[in-house]
Amino acid sequence: MPLLSHIKSLLGLVLLATLLVGCDAGVPEPNLAPAKAKAAQCVEPTADMRKNHMVYLDVHRDKTVIEGIRTNKHSLNECINCHVVPTREDGSAVHYTDEKKDHFCASCHTYVGVKLDCFQCHADRPQIVENINYQHKLSSNTYHLSAQSVQPDMNDLLWLSQSQTQGATQ
Amino acid sequence: MSQINAYRRKFMATLGGVAVGGLASSVILRTVQAGDVPAKPADQPVSNQVRWGMLIDVNRLTDGGASMVEACKREHGWGNDPKARPEQQAQWMRTVKVTDKLTKYSFTLPVMCQHCEEPPCVDVCPTGASMKRADGIVQVNKHICIGCRYCMMACPYKARSFVHESLTDQRPHSPRGIGTVESCNLCVHRVDQGQLPACVEAAPNAVIFGDLNDPNSRISQAMKALGGSQIRADLSLNTGVRYLGL
Ligand code: HEC
Ligand code: HEC
Ligand code: HEC
Repeated sequence: MPLLSHIKSLLGLVLLATLLVGCDAGVPEPNLAPAKAKAAQCVEPTADMRKNHMVYLDVHRDKTVIEGIRTNKHSLNECINCHVVPTREDGSAVHYTDEKKDHFCASCHTYVGVKLDCFQCHADRPQIVENINYQHKLSSNTYHLSAQSVQPDMNDLLWLSQSQTQGATQ
Repeated sequence: MSQINAYRRKFMATLGGVAVGGLASSVILRTVQAGDVPAKPADQPVSNQVRWGMLIDVNRLTDGGASMVEACKREHGWGNDPKARPEQQAQWMRTVKVTDKLTKYSFTLPVMCQHCEEPPCVDVCPTGASMKRADGIVQVNKHICIGCRYCMMACPYKARSFVHESLTDQRPHSPRGIGTVESCNLCVHRVDQGQLPACVEAAPNAVIFGDLNDPNSRISQAMKALGGSQIRADLSLNTGVRYLGL
């Protein structure tokens, strides 16, 4: 009797193992293409990052917000700048919540079942157009920018109207 | 509307101060100077040796501060939230028009978080999200903000707003999102890197930004010579944002 049950459980184990192996083959690779185009390695060893990236981020966010420490190494903005391209080849914007799940962070979190609120506030892709010298039309002419006064950039206006329409279709 | 009027009346009543500024200040209020905000090494925490403050000369603001408000909107990306009704839009900074009932003399000034030394918003916060940094900057630590909005009610300057809707494509340097309170943070991300706040840059001839703790800073010198009134000085909050020409 005990022998039989042993055989049974052994069989079960073998079955499970094959199943697991089968699953393993199906683990989706995180979308590392954008980062690999820019750098050879991550800010910490890859294996460590896989396991501990949330710890680095949590520590750094308190350091930044409470103490004003602004190093780049564990900055969320820097993760995004390196790991995410703003648009796909077809020109569509890459967002964390997209169905395609090709946003680097989503490409892994979807599989492991992690839910994040970070991107409710944080930009989930690098900002494409930024002209900090541009000031709104309303500004009175008497003011000058410390850099130089520059005419409003058409791209900049476009960026604003784009973000408006995006919101409207949510 | 009547509420706003009541607010303005109270506001007026406490302004009362002397009309300095404009004339005398031209010597000191020149252009923005890079030395006002010494760059801090990125890996160093902020210290309480410094207290950031701002002096706004209302008479030199030819547009009552509208360009400062626009610069703020642009820097932080508020004011254009797609689903919010106009009265719901976030408002980190606004212009307030004040009229003397008797003389009808009126002027406009920009009002935002006054960065109190004794901030009521910090006192009432149940989670510690509403906080004052060591260098005197009052801000919301949105990571622990639960959106209860006590701070909005506690603030005598109506300086805080609440985000009601999901947002995308925020400014990377100014994260803002649904369910949290926000307000002027004196552009912490810029100040920490030795840059001036965006609104100061937009009105370099009317505003000085700098260290109130340093007696030799331009802002301290200007305030020593010309004063610098607080809005609602009666509340004894010792604000970091001061005005000339109220
Ligand atoms: C409710 C809005 C909100 C949410 C949600 C949020 N943050 Fe933040 N975060 C902010 C704000 C505001 C700052 C301050 C930015 C500054 O001072 O420059 C910040 C700063 C940071 C910083 C330091 C700046 C940087 O780019 O490195 C890190 C790291 C960070 N957050 C991580 C996170 C992580 C991880 C999550 C999700 C678990 C998260 N945040 C969720 C609003 C938010
Ligand atoms: C300068 C570019 C760069 C920055 C900045 C960066 N990474 Fe990476 N990251 C990489 C590269 C390249 C790899 C792939 C390394 C490899 O193949 O061994 C990687 C790998 C990873 C992995 C492991 C993925 C896997 O193979 O399973 C994680 C997780 C990760 N990064 C998270 C982050 C986080 C979180 C941040 C921000 C704190 C960050 N990275 C910042 C370039 C970067
Ligand atoms: C290789 C897979 C992988 C990648 C890529 C990855 N993560 Fe994660 N992340 C995880 C896993 C697994 C967890 C959950 C760990 C746990 O629960 O102990 C997690 C958890 C987190 C948490 C904590 C969530 C919480 O609720 O506390 C944060 C924050 C986070 N990830 C941020 C990021 C960001 C930002 C990126 C993209 C730059 C990213 N991760 C990319 C695997 C990944």
